[in-house]
Amino acid sequence: MRRALATVLIALPLTAFAESAVVIVQGLGGNDTYQSAFTEQVTAIEAAVETLQPQPAVRVFRGEEANRAAVLEYLATLADSMSSRDQLHVYLVGHGSFDDEEYKFNIAGPDLTDQDLLSAFDAIPSGNQIVVNTSSASGAAADVWQAESRVVITATRSGVERHATRFGEYFAGALSDPAADVDKNEIVTAQEAFNFADRMVAESFESAGNLATEHARLDGDRAARFSLARLTAARTQSGDARLTSLVENRDEIAARLESLRLSRDERAPDEYQRELLGIMLELAEVEEAIERRETELANP
Amino acid sequence: MSIRRALLLLALTASVQVDARSIHYGAVEHDALLACDKLNWRGDDAAEACFGDVLASSAPAAVRAEAAWALGDLHAANRLFQAASKTSPEDPAILTRWGDLYADSHQDAEAMDIYREALALDAQYAFALLGAARVLVGGFDEAANTYLEPLLTNSTMHPGARTGAWLLVARVALENDDLDEARHNLDRAETLIEDNDWPPLEPYALRAALDLVDGVRDSEWPARALAYNPRWGDIHAVPAHFYVISRRYRDAIDLYQKAVDVEPGHAAAHIELGVNLLRDNQVNRARRALETAHDIDPFSPVAVNTLRLLDSFSNFSLIQFPDGPAADGEVPIVLRLHKDETAAIAPYAIDLTRRSIEEFTQRYEFELREPVIIEMYPDHEDFAVRTAGMPGIGILGATFGYVVAMDSPAARSTDQFQWGTTLWHELAHVFTLEATDHLVPRWFSEGVSVFEEWRSGPTPGVKVPIPVYAAMRDDKFLPIATLDQGFIRPTYENQVIVSYMQAGLICQFIDERFGEDKLAAMLREFRDGANTVDAIERVLDLSGPAFDREFDLYLDIEHGSILAALDDWQELQTEAARAMSASDWAALEDAANRLVELHPTYVEPDSPYLMLAKAFEESDRENEALTALRTFHELGGYEPGALKRYASMLVARDEPSLAIDVLTTVAMVQPLDNELHAELGKLFLETDRAEDALQSYEIVLAQGTFDKASAYFNIARAHRALGNDDATRDNLLLALDVAPGYRDAQRLLLDVMRGDNNDNE
Repeated sequence: MRRALATVLIALPLTAFAESAVVIVQGLGGNDTYQSAFTEQVTAIEAAVETLQPQPAVRVFRGEEANRAAVLEYLATLADSMSSRDQLHVYLVGHGSFDDEEYKFNIAGPDLTDQDLLSAFDAIPSGNQIVVNTSSASGAAADVWQAESRVVITATRSGVERHATRFGEYFAGALSDPAADVDKNEIVTAQEAFNFADRMVAESFESAGNLATEHARLDGDRAARFSLARLTAARTQSGDARLTSLVENRDEIAARLESLRLSRDERAPDEYQRELLGIMLELAEVEEAIERRETELANP
Repeated sequence: MSIRRALLLLALTASVQVDARSIHYGAVEHDALLACDKLNWRGDDAAEACFGDVLASSAPAAVRAEAAWALGDLHAANRLFQAASKTSPEDPAILTRWGDLYADSHQDAEAMDIYREALALDAQYAFALLGAARVLVGGFDEAANTYLEPLLTNSTMHPGARTGAWLLVARVALENDDLDEARHNLDRAETLIEDNDWPPLEPYALRAALDLVDGVRDSEWPARALAYNPRWGDIHAVPAHFYVISRRYRDAIDLYQKAVDVEPGHAAAHIELGVNLLRDNQVNRARRALETAHDIDPFSPVAVNTLRLLDSFSNFSLIQFPDGPAADGEVPIVLRLHKDETAAIAPYAIDLTRRSIEEFTQRYEFELREPVIIEMYPDHEDFAVRTAGMPGIGILGATFGYVVAMDSPAARSTDQFQWGTTLWHELAHVFTLEATDHLVPRWFSEGVSVFEEWRSGPTPGVKVPIPVYAAMRDDKFLPIATLDQGFIRPTYENQVIVSYMQAGLICQFIDERFGEDKLAAMLREFRDGANTVDAIERVLDLSGPAFDREFDLYLDIEHGSILAALDDWQELQTEAARAMSASDWAALEDAANRLVELHPTYVEPDSPYLMLAKAFEESDRENEALTALRTFHELGGYEPGALKRYASMLVARDEPSLAIDVLTTVAMVQPLDNELHAELGKLFLETDRAEDALQSYEIVLAQGTFDKASAYFNIARAHRALGNDDATRDNLLLALDVAPGYRDAQRLLLDVMRGDNNDNE
């Protein structure tokens, strides 16, 4: 994990050059309480998507519009337009069901089945896909959808967990909660949002003294590379040579930090602490210089 | 054999506890068996072979069952009684002895079923009546009287069953502290025993207990019993029980030790020895005693439960305060807390304990002589095992002297339990027990503890539940002379809680009416051996009945208005509930205001102030909601959700100090709430209480926060405020190790390091 976080620090700027598409499908609530909860979650996800830079293409399906034909048709258009370097984010917010053979996401008209969506996802050439399914029984779909190029997050670990879930509320909440941003880089990744929501679900059951009826699941090992929300405004690309040099300097320091951490077990604790302090100070100073330069550029 | 009986057999094989086969006073009539019994009752080694011969003989199955039982082979005894019952299904004597076997194996429900079967065959079968009465008395069930009455009044009943009945009521009288009645009952039993040449051992043991309760030193009865049977451990174990119920655990330990010295195979005495050693914090010796008991009786649930509990101690931390040697006059404190809870509870528990010791030392004019040991169990059943060896007790805490055991905050929901108040209550017991050498009557000890909860506890304020007011109105309070009975042998539902409250109100009355030094003066009387009535007379110059009259007048003055309006109160509560469910906030406000008029200090979870706050909040009248919550808190209200809302309002109004007070009250109820400690940390920092902030943030980290970087950063901020630059830097590095790009931490690190550089220049 420690290594993964440092890698993110270096790797994130690279992902900014790829195109992203976000698809959000709001399922049927079945009653006012769930309908309103799903609407709130979708609104929170939309707000989070708006913080991303560059802005991805966003398509939200809700109400009558959230029907099988429309969703699959849109995904088919993405299959034609996206490239292997692009990112696809899919959110399914609603209720699901599983009859021991097939998972269904409940929408108006015929439900979306796990196989419907598998075919659609597989047809999209994007090599960086993430699917977040917060519905009941969604773990059954994870079994079907998992693939090397795809991160799959589900509210339940299997199709047997059929109760309405709490995961979606906490996952959507994580996208704007600084507490979810454990590495404090102002970006909430899929891994961070999952960890936060997973823990909050467990605590909510525990504090009420109830046995947990859902256990979230994450398949795929690249969840930390998917940025789902920014907590502060993104830094603008200025083309300023001084700033570029500072950013390169920061990335070089971050690489040395990663290298130091990897050698931690080989060093005496005092020596490690001393070197860590030195690098952290360098990092802090260069971040300070970057901020200063950004301010100068913003107020010439 | 019925299915029910088949299940019983399984139960017997699965969970027996071996007790010596009791003296049966003629319940069994068989010459060869009786000869063995006589040897056994005299402690003669030849008894074992004698019983072996009977078991191997062609005697009837019921007789061989008795021999197997005497030899400790309960499985064989059970099988033989089963066979005997098949052969003679209409014989109540066989069924009754079979029931006795179950009763001796602590399977009371099954024993009771068998006694009922026997009584269905012969409603006047004396030994079945006795067996049923014994089981019911053990369960404090008044129905026992129905079974006992014919045995005590009908002289044509079998003298053996009548002997057992008189011994049983003698024991009950002793437990009730009615020594004259106990003597009378023992006389009746002994006459029957002498007339029938039965062994006098059980009366001897009860007379030894009577001497103990009566304060007679050098009782003659142990020597007489041991002269009759040198291996009769009960001559010490029976009196020891009376030490236990009067909470004189160290004296009980001495007697149980004597019991097992005399009778090394006495499993029950080993168990009681172990349980009471634990109450005295002699953990290693307790383990040895319990392991011995377990070797003798591997199925004893008390031994198994308690040994398992001791094994679980590896999951607990021992916290000592102070770390080093205690200063003069300082009482060391030892906490045994579950590792998951130590960080959150220890600071608060130490603070509460220190404050209580200071408060009670001064008020009760007594200085503790030993360290105070406090154990908290997150699993209530562990606490129950710690206290009584078995799960299933309903209390929240228990004090054995200098050792306090209680539920931890995780063991119960917050509407049932305020851990801080419970700890305060138990610590008052430490004083009342130790100041009187454990001679304090139960009611007084509980009364002082309840009174101190109200007067000086962490959420002070008189809190009397409505059902107690109902008991007060219905004249169910007991005379002070017999108030202990309300705790020991309650006769109606809720009487124990009613007795707690009555005792608390009595102590409040004494304190207010006669002066704050009088409770301490009464403790000294109890220490010197006075009973309740004597102590009242000497300290307050009132007879028992006169005191009761004065107390009644006090209750009338203090609580008369609510007593007169209890029916209205219930109606208004119903009205308020209806308004709440209909979201009719105007109606809720109206009902709540009228409830406040009836009982302006009521702050239990159904307090009208909470209703008012809800009605105001829903009507966007925040100022009035704030006022309602302020009153609720000031009167001692502790409902965590309401107090957190109140604290948020205070923070929004820039009243951080008051918000801290409110959230500290919440910590007395929900100390494991990490958000609470994070908020407290923030407020402490804002109000320049960096030391307290550091403690709060360290709790957040230790409890296992999701956001470790923030936790380290906040600790660093607290250290920075305290001027601890090294600790600030170290914690910032920990934060940055988790989150290298954490700008706030980077900025503070630069500040600290640049400050260091400046210092070096």
